[in-house]
Amino acid sequence: MHFQKKRCVAMLLAGGQGSRLMVLTENTAKPAVPFGGKYRIIDFPLSNCVNSKIDTVGILTQYEPLELNEYIGNGQPWDLNSSHGGVQVLPPYAKNKNSEWYKGTANAIYQNIPFIDRYNPDNVLILSGDHIYKMDYAKMIRFHDQNGSDCTIAVREVPLADAPRFGIMNTREDGSIYEFEEKPKQPKSTNASMGIYVFKWSVLKKYLEMDEADPKSENDFGKNVIPAILKDGYRLMAYRFEGYWKDVGTIDSLWQANMDLLGDKPVFDISDVSDGRIRARNTAMPSSYIAPTAEVKDSFVAEGCEVFGSIQHSVLSTGCAVGKGAEIMDSVIMPNVVVENGAFIRSAIIAEGCHIKAGARIGGSGTGAARKITVIGKEQTVSEGAVVEAGTIR
Amino acid sequence: MDCMGIIFSNIYDSSMGALTAFRTSASIPFGGRYRQIDFILSNLSNSGIRDIGIITKYNYQSLMDHLGTCEEWDLKLGDGVRFLPPYATGHTGAYRGKLEALQTALPVLERNRNKYVVLADTTVLCSIDFTEVVEQHEASGCDVTVVSRRGIADGVTVQPVALKLDADGKVVDLAMDYAAPKDYAVGMSMFIMSREKLIEIIHELVPHGKYHFERDFLLGYYNDHKISVNVYQFHNVALFNENVVQYYNNSMALLDGSVRHSLFRGDISIYTKVRDAVPTRFGMRGQAADCVIADGCHINGYAAHSVLFREVVIEKEAQVRDCIVMQGCRIGKGAKLRYVILDKNVVIEPGVELLGSPGHPEVIGKNAKISKGAYNR
Repeated sequence: MHFQKKRCVAMLLAGGQGSRLMVLTENTAKPAVPFGGKYRIIDFPLSNCVNSKIDTVGILTQYEPLELNEYIGNGQPWDLNSSHGGVQVLPPYAKNKNSEWYKGTANAIYQNIPFIDRYNPDNVLILSGDHIYKMDYAKMIRFHDQNGSDCTIAVREVPLADAPRFGIMNTREDGSIYEFEEKPKQPKSTNASMGIYVFKWSVLKKYLEMDEADPKSENDFGKNVIPAILKDGYRLMAYRFEGYWKDVGTIDSLWQANMDLLGDKPVFDISDVSDGRIRARNTAMPSSYIAPTAEVKDSFVAEGCEVFGSIQHSVLSTGCAVGKGAEIMDSVIMPNVVVENGAFIRSAIIAEGCHIKAGARIGGSGTGAARKITVIGKEQTVSEGAVVEAGTIR
Repeated sequence: MDCMGIIFSNIYDSSMGALTAFRTSASIPFGGRYRQIDFILSNLSNSGIRDIGIITKYNYQSLMDHLGTCEEWDLKLGDGVRFLPPYATGHTGAYRGKLEALQTALPVLERNRNKYVVLADTTVLCSIDFTEVVEQHEASGCDVTVVSRRGIADGVTVQPVALKLDADGKVVDLAMDYAAPKDYAVGMSMFIMSREKLIEIIHELVPHGKYHFERDFLLGYYNDHKISVNVYQFHNVALFNENVVQYYNNSMALLDGSVRHSLFRGDISIYTKVRDAVPTRFGMRGQAADCVIADGCHINGYAAHSVLFREVVIEKEAQVRDCIVMQGCRIGKGAKLRYVILDKNVVIEPGVELLGSPGHPEVIGKNAKISKGAYNR
């Protein structure tokens, strides 16, 4: 079946197991991990798509897809519920002869060539489901078109010392890429790939098919597909992005990205709507109540909370209750957590639905380099007066 | 459920002052993130009532904006939910009472196939299960069921509908616009009757110049022994917002956990239009005590015993006490407000001081900008 042509289709790679997030992704796909009080990580790339007027998004997922599926639903919160395009969750599916898991990022797109072909797009935008940022993809696609690029890779400047941890793009003066180095020991430049690519669909399709035919390939964009396209002399451009961007693939970076929302001048000002709002599936919760005994400073408080205790430099998500005399500091409290009277939480991530009983003590007082993030996984109970040492992950 | 709903959106418009200058009472903001109609609409939806006519008279633009396609209430505009503005065919037009308004709804009532109709206003806020009400109505065998609440009548306040019940819950007196004594139950402006009976009385009464549902039908027919009246006694919190002072007091009542939890139960949701506001951000020196606060606020000053709607900004050193502050207001640095209701998008410039009183809260109309020294009343 063919639909009316789309100029660009976005494919969001949400399939990662997220093993570095440990207990937080035990029953949750990484993109469905809560963030910033009322969001989930996937709200950022999805909202960016809508704010960039991209109305066709495929979400590639294979681990623990249930929660993600339910969250995305018909895409209505993001205005992606149109009859032509919209958002579709694309798990690996059984074909005539063989069914297979997505072997790698490139293979995930390869398996969905028929989905993309239905829209016959000029370009395909490849996104990752574990980054927190606001970006106008339309600008990037315009840059891609104006430069006659076959593949455009979003890059950002990283400190030289950090460069060996990234895919580094070495560019000519006009921004075209002459070399791509995956995690170089001796980086020649500091343009790190953000894992956001715009491909001409005709070029990408050809290379996905070639990549699939190569039994030695790891079917990965960074390791296989992009180097092959570069080697064959296509035009690759680096698109410089200056705004806030954070890969939240680890416990520390997820914690840090939440903290970046706080302060009188936050590192990441999510409430600045000049570049579009971040949309989320809203729960029907009443407004929050802040009691006379509460003290809330330098924090985010989402709706549906009842706060009787003290919250400092923390993110309190939708539907939480914090009892009298409880103290929460430098922490991320995910949705529907109950913190009873006198409990003490410091430098911690408390996952959805946990019950922290009276007087429990979680986490330690280390700051800066000595800070160890403590994590309590989903729907756990920490018993009355229990002590959970700093750095514990359970 | 074998029941449809009719909502009257304009009741008490005239007693709500500036709050209804540009909107119906149905769309008066309440409780930080809601509009009054959200309560009745959510109650109907949660009770499985999907066919709902919303009778409007004037100023209904904001109401239509708010409801959109009704998907947030799990309802569908056009397929179940219908706006019923007045017919403007020459001599008719805006109507004088509920019965006359219902005449507009006759085609909808006649086409519908449900056995019963719930008639309700938007100004009584509660969390009620209509399945139970309709079941009880059916079991009573009466013509009309009036949903009512005891413990509201005080012998002073004039009640639109008051009922005296005997020990078995049978109605022994029915009165209108009556400063009912404490032993009377007060009508919650929610009535249940059969659809066919409703159609019949519209045809009977409206051509004879009778347009008032409560007076001409309920009281008139009761007095003439033409109908039997049943009472459904509601036992949870019901907030009556019939004038500005009641609205103010009921908003403040939300600061009481028992009131809040009766209205917003864990198991039943009250839905509203989604607005993608970010969570509320408390600044380094912001402080709130005894406040209901919606999403998207920036609290850098001090707020106490107040209800703050979405995206309210309280700047440094500003003090907001005993106030209702609606969506998008900005309270400038060092401003001091007490017993004030700010309608949407009001800007209070730095240093302004406004003082109302609990019995007469100061209401500042939508979009107003109040400068220091420029505000005199």
